[in-house]
Amino acid sequence: MTTDTRATTEHEVAQLLVDALHLEMTAGEIRPEEPLFGEGLGLDSIDALEIALAISRTYGFELRSEEGRAHRVFASLRNLTRYIDTHRTR
Amino acid sequence: MGEATSYRLVCRPADHVLFRFNDWTITATDFLGMAHQLASELPGATHVVNLCHDRLHFALGLAAALLRGQVSLLTSDRSPERLRALQEDYPVLYSLSDDQAVSSPLPHHYYRAQPPRPCADGPGNPELPASRLAAIVFTSGSTGEPVGHKKPWGALVERSLDAAACFDMLEAQPASIVGMVPPQHMYGFETTVLLPLHAPASTWCGAAFYPEDVASALRAVPAPRVLVTTPLQIRALLQTSTELPPIERVISATAPLFPEIAAAAEQRLNTRVFEIFGATEVGSIASRRTVDGDIWTTYPQVHIREDQADAVVEGPFAVPHALTDVVEMLDARHFRLLGRRADLIKLAGRRASLAELNRILIGIEGVRDGQFVAPDDLDRRPTARLLVFVVAPERSADEIMAELRGQIDPPFLPRRVILVDELPRNEVGKLTDQALGALQARQNEV
Repeated sequence: MTTDTRATTEHEVAQLLVDALHLEMTAGEIRPEEPLFGEGLGLDSIDALEIALAISRTYGFELRSEEGRAHRVFASLRNLTRYIDTHRTR
Repeated sequence: MGEATSYRLVCRPADHVLFRFNDWTITATDFLGMAHQLASELPGATHVVNLCHDRLHFALGLAAALLRGQVSLLTSDRSPERLRALQEDYPVLYSLSDDQAVSSPLPHHYYRAQPPRPCADGPGNPELPASRLAAIVFTSGSTGEPVGHKKPWGALVERSLDAAACFDMLEAQPASIVGMVPPQHMYGFETTVLLPLHAPASTWCGAAFYPEDVASALRAVPAPRVLVTTPLQIRALLQTSTELPPIERVISATAPLFPEIAAAAEQRLNTRVFEIFGATEVGSIASRRTVDGDIWTTYPQVHIREDQADAVVEGPFAVPHALTDVVEMLDARHFRLLGRRADLIKLAGRRASLAELNRILIGIEGVRDGQFVAPDDLDRRPTARLLVFVVAPERSADEIMAELRGQIDPPFLPRRVILVDELPRNEVGKLTDQALGALQARQNEV
């Protein structure tokens, strides 16, 4: 439900991750296809809560678990960006 | 209360609700019928790793294993390496999961519940010996060598009854529990899975991780509602604008809850906030209402025995175990926590020892010296993580990070690996807090 015609970019979501989690890297260093949890960036469930808060502040919607699984949306930066793009209210 | 020598699998009136799952309400009779059905499908084995995410599937897995005489293994680390390591210790082992995408190297049983069917002659509800080993719960270690703790059936049942008494669940209308903690974690296991089997309570079984999940879960269940959660999730709830229905009681564990947060939650949610104190080894053993002060009251049947420097926890049928925390006993049932023993750190409800982490670090090829450092505000700042100083002239920070990633739990991965020429060890080779602090300060200036 995009009320804004502006498309969400992977770079801006990467920047949100870097800012919300105080990551020691630049947004450009997060590879779009890489898993954000576990193997790739190595985020954990505490990070997920922080990201959820940052998303709600920036994009005006609340993250929810999908099909009973809390972290499916974090499969990759690309996945998360697509998810934000379809749910954002601002 | 009092100790019996055996306890039924389920000790609730036949038509009382134990679990709520999607639109289903699972009564005691339904639950027993579903457990027998699952038990008849399970492979023969001595042990089962219960990896089910959903609480209903998890609870049915536990019950079916009990019916089949199998011991349930509970581990939060579900990596293939960890499961293979378990298989070495428990050779006749399989995994049970409700996730088709799970990658288990073990013989595997996939399970999703079918809607309950009316059961003509009432499913069996066997008496199980109190001494029967029901589960082995593993500490979430940092070393790849988590320790399993044995949980006899009688110990789990008596502790549930204790918890119910402590949280006024015996007199009142059955409580609706919404849990935000995985069932494989000892705290989540006790409060969201075991309680409804023996005390007047039902557990909601959908996802409840993000504030919005919790809001819809709470709306879906009848009052009185009890939210089983953690300090970080309480903090997240306070930061969203999500409206929540009335909550009778909030229960928090896994990390210290700061009184200011507890007070803010009591006011904003118009509720009472309690903490449980416990550990994987001993289970939940005490509680307090956080805003009332720092004194903990033990569960009615729990006894803390001071044995020289140790505080040993005893309870009906439970395996006695010393706490890793230092306590000051005020009287038989009240104590203060004075801090954690040795060098234990806690993140995301998991524990690690700095000494173990350092051992792993030093074991990496090319590392001459190294040290994990915990920032002072690790308990208070959710984004705070460890950092690592390392002397490894031939290796890069990225390589060291990659090596660590394969060996330690994600929460304990350092946010930064800082390469230095040498660590400021004193003449006896010790790294003092002061020297490390100075090193950190220099890094922050760079």
